[in-house]
Parts: sequence; structure tokens; C-alpha cells
Amino acid sequence: MKAVDLTTRIKGLTFKNPVTVASGTFGTTGEYAGFVDYKKLGAIITKTITIKPRAGNPMPRICETAGGMLNAIGLQNKGLDDFIEHKIPYYAKIATPLIVNIAGESEGDFAKLTRALQKYPRVVKAIELNLSCPNVEKGGAGFMKKRKLMKAAVRAARAETDRLLIAKLSPELGDVLEIAGEVIDAGADALSLINTLKGMAINIETRRSRIANITGGLSGPAIKPVALRYVYEVKKNYAVPVIAAGGIMTARDALEFIIAGADLLAVGTANFINPRATLDILEGITGYCRQHGIRRIQELRGSFRHV
Amino acid sequence: MKRVDETVTIQENSRINGKYYKLVFKSGRLARGVQAGQFLHVQIRPEAVDPFLRRPFSYYRIQKDRIEVLYEVLGRGTELLAELGSGSRLKIMGPLGKAFTRKVKGRKRVLVAGGVGVPPLVFLAEKNPVDYLLIGTKSKAEVLPKNELSKVSAKILHATNDGSYGTRGFVTALLEKIIQKEGAERLYIQTCGPTPMMNAVMDIARREGIPGEASMEESMACGVGACLGCMVKTPQGWVASCIEGPVFPFNDLVRTCA
Repeated sequence: MKAVDLTTRIKGLTFKNPVTVASGTFGTTGEYAGFVDYKKLGAIITKTITIKPRAGNPMPRICETAGGMLNAIGLQNKGLDDFIEHKIPYYAKIATPLIVNIAGESEGDFAKLTRALQKYPRVVKAIELNLSCPNVEKGGAGFMKKRKLMKAAVRAARAETDRLLIAKLSPELGDVLEIAGEVIDAGADALSLINTLKGMAINIETRRSRIANITGGLSGPAIKPVALRYVYEVKKNYAVPVIAAGGIMTARDALEFIIAGADLLAVGTANFINPRATLDILEGITGYCRQHGIRRIQELRGSFRHV
Repeated sequence: MKRVDETVTIQENSRINGKYYKLVFKSGRLARGVQAGQFLHVQIRPEAVDPFLRRPFSYYRIQKDRIEVLYEVLGRGTELLAELGSGSRLKIMGPLGKAFTRKVKGRKRVLVAGGVGVPPLVFLAEKNPVDYLLIGTKSKAEVLPKNELSKVSAKILHATNDGSYGTRGFVTALLEKIIQKEGAERLYIQTCGPTPMMNAVMDIARREGIPGEASMEESMACGVGACLGCMVKTPQGWVASCIEGPVFPFNDLVRTCA
């Protein structure tokens, strides 16, 4: 059997295949070891880190919904210092490119995190800016204020690093095409589309929300058509690399995103159900390419036919 | 202990009394080295998205590569599981989580069980020296058939809410009697069951200064410590019950609800 060339390049970085994991769905240090050989992944995207540790939200934090789940974890993480002390040495042993996802409350936070992380060029290959977590409200910041912060955060991070800078977006902040244009202008090299969509579920016996935070981020197959539409529209309008996320459960899902133009595929919630989802998807993509005589994934990427 | 994820074929899946269903399948890898308190993470319909998430179940009994699980039908997932017949396939991850302490020195061991907490504590009592097994249920129809308890050497006491079997009232009343009889300083408690029951047990244990462990139950997604959904509050903050638990020493738990 002929090998299929799955190599994907973004801003001088080479990924041996397009399969990665969505932030917050793959743990921090080897939770999936034994199920997945991390070296086989195209890239690893970490759970969001913040400057200071965050305790996270009260319970319950998750609930199942039709074809998906809601979560309101609240960016629980041990903070930047712990990441540098414990996680960087762990990932230094894995050759797979690491993309570190960061979040902050101000552009200063994004700058500080980026500055600290870019001191580890052998490990941290890219920074993903979480500009769209639906479960963290800072004093009820208004819509326009959030948009302003978003642009300022991208500019602040850009000023600190030449490395691949990815902005993770959500339709919650307004028209995605408009936001995409704004963050590209502010200096983002690539976009992650999409973060979870804010939703809720009510227990009719207690009349309370099934999530302590009341609302949570919806993920899973339920949001895939929405994510696919945004990836398609953004790729149609901008020459920008896109990391697609949103309900990628199988190779078929992944292939739809590739045909729509996605550069990388972030497998998220699927990991929770099938710990080997990433590698199953990778094998499925390879199988499809062989069946269809596709030698390079690049031939398939963005090959959507309008008629 | 190596965690595995494999497809198994159901051998038996049927109702055994007014409360529990028994699921039986074979898997050498899922049975190897398992201790009471650990759990399996089951994808009930492997090719479907309904139910979407896996469901965690305690191990109940292991005989070589034969694994038994007792479950209650409590929601959409277990309703669908109960419909499956022998020959149906499940995807199962395991063994997951931390087990109950097996060796307790210098103290008499009391197990306090209710509802879905009965199976792992029967497992513990079958495999280890245990002095008392206290089981709380609503009524006689929910009490495990005698043959299911025949391998337990501990003294078994039942409490039912309606008094139709054993003592009338809550299982905690049985615990209070044993404390009076044996003395708190001579006891060690291990508990698993509905949260209000475990909270009541832990309140008594704290009042009396009795050490022990509780197996916590939270909604769970990944089962491997990645999603941070199944959190339990400890003095050090929220920790994932799927990897740090589900069994925790009483001292590691902070009461979070009334």
C-alpha cells in the first residue's frame, strides 16, 4: 500500500498529520497514555492555562444532551508556574508539536502568558488564544467590551512572539466573519473554529439547571453542522489557516471539515467517549485517501464543489 | 494496572429483583487485578450517539474472566442498557479508579451500603475480612436475593424504609447501634450509596471520630481525568473522582451539600 502524505504546514511549522485535540478535552499530562501514542498525533493542544491557578466552577459541571454535552468547568487549572515547572518537562519528551492554549482577563494577561511561554521554543510551538470561553464571566463585561478585549489580546500576544498565534473564536461574540477579520488584522496567524456554543438544560423535577453555572458550553455532534458552516465561510473569505473543532467524532466528520478547507482537525468531546478517537480518525482519513486515490491530503483540502 | 477499552459480548442481562439488573460478560483484560471500588466505563450503544456519554458502573463480582455488574435503571442510559439481550455488544473501558482499602488493622470493619452502593461493598465483603455489612433499601422488594449474599461471611443487617425487611428506618440507625455495641474507637467504616446516605454516615463518623472511606458518585464524561467534570471537593480543591477516587478517605472530603 502506498503511503498517503498527510503533512500539513502552517506558518513554517510542519505537522505530520492534521489530527490534533481540542483544548480541554485531552487532559494535561498523559491522561490518554495507554490508549493513544501521543507521538502519532499531528499536534497536541493543551487545556487552557491562566496566570494564576483557577479552582473551577461548582458541581455539577457537565450534563448529557441530545447528541452532545454541556460543560461549565470554569477553566480549572494550576496556573502558569505549575505549567512551566511540570507540564513543559513532560511535553519536552514528546516530539509532537505542542500548542498551548491560554486565557486572561486583560490584554496584559495574554501578553504575560505569551512572553513566559515563548521562552520554551523547543516545546511550545504555537499559542492558541482562548477568546471565547462561555463559562467565565468577568463582571458581566458587555458585548462590545469583549470584542475590544479580544482584539487587544491578539495584539498584545502578537507583540510578544513570532511563533504561530491562533485565535479561538466563538459565534457568541458576534458575526464570525467580522470577528475573523478583526483578529487577523490584529495579528492572528490562524483561527480555531469553533469553541462551544452556550446552552442550558433544566431538570424538570427540581426545576434547576443541570449545570451549577446555569449555562454551559454545548459540544459534540449537535454543533458539527454549525462548526462546518463557519469553517467553510471563513475559508471562503480569508486566506487563513483554520483549526476546525466541533463534533468531530469519526473520520467522516473530519473529512467534511477537510473538504470545507480545514487545515487541522481538533478532536474534542469524542475523546471522552472513545479514548482512541484521534487515532481512529487518523486511520479513517488515510483509508479514505487510499480508496479515492488521493496521495496528498492537500489535494483534498478545500476541494468542496459548489455545483 | 493497565486500562483497556474493548468490545465485549453480553452473556446475561436480566432483572434479578425489584431493583437490580445483572449484567454478565467475559473479558480477561477487564477482570485482571481488579479490586472492589473500581469501575467500568460503558458505552451502551457503541455505534450510536444516544446515549451520548459512557456510563460508569462498579464491578460487582469477578470469577476468572467472568465479570458481573449490578445496576439500577435510573435514566436514559440504563433504560437502554436494560433492553439489550445476550449477544449484544458493549464497549467497555476499565479497570478505572481507586479501590477501597483492603487491609484494615486493629479495627472492626463496617460497610454501609445503599442503592447502587450495594454491589461494590458486597464485592469488598466477599473478598476481604469484614465484620458488618449494613444494607439500606426502601422495601423488601429491593433486597438482594439471599444467594447473592451467600459468599459474604460478615454479619449482614438490613434496614428498610417501610420495615418490610430487617429493621424499619434508615441504615444509619443500624450504624449507631453498632457504634454503641462495639465502641467508636474500634471501628472503621466504608460506605457507598446515595449522597444523602453517605453524608449522614460521614456526619456520624466525624462526630464519633471513626475513620473510613466513601465512594463518591458524580456525573462523569471521560473517566480518565481529562474533562474535570466529575469533581469532588477536598481540602486541596476540586479533584477528579474518576482518577483520584471514586473512593476517598473521609478526611479528604469536604461536605458540599446539606
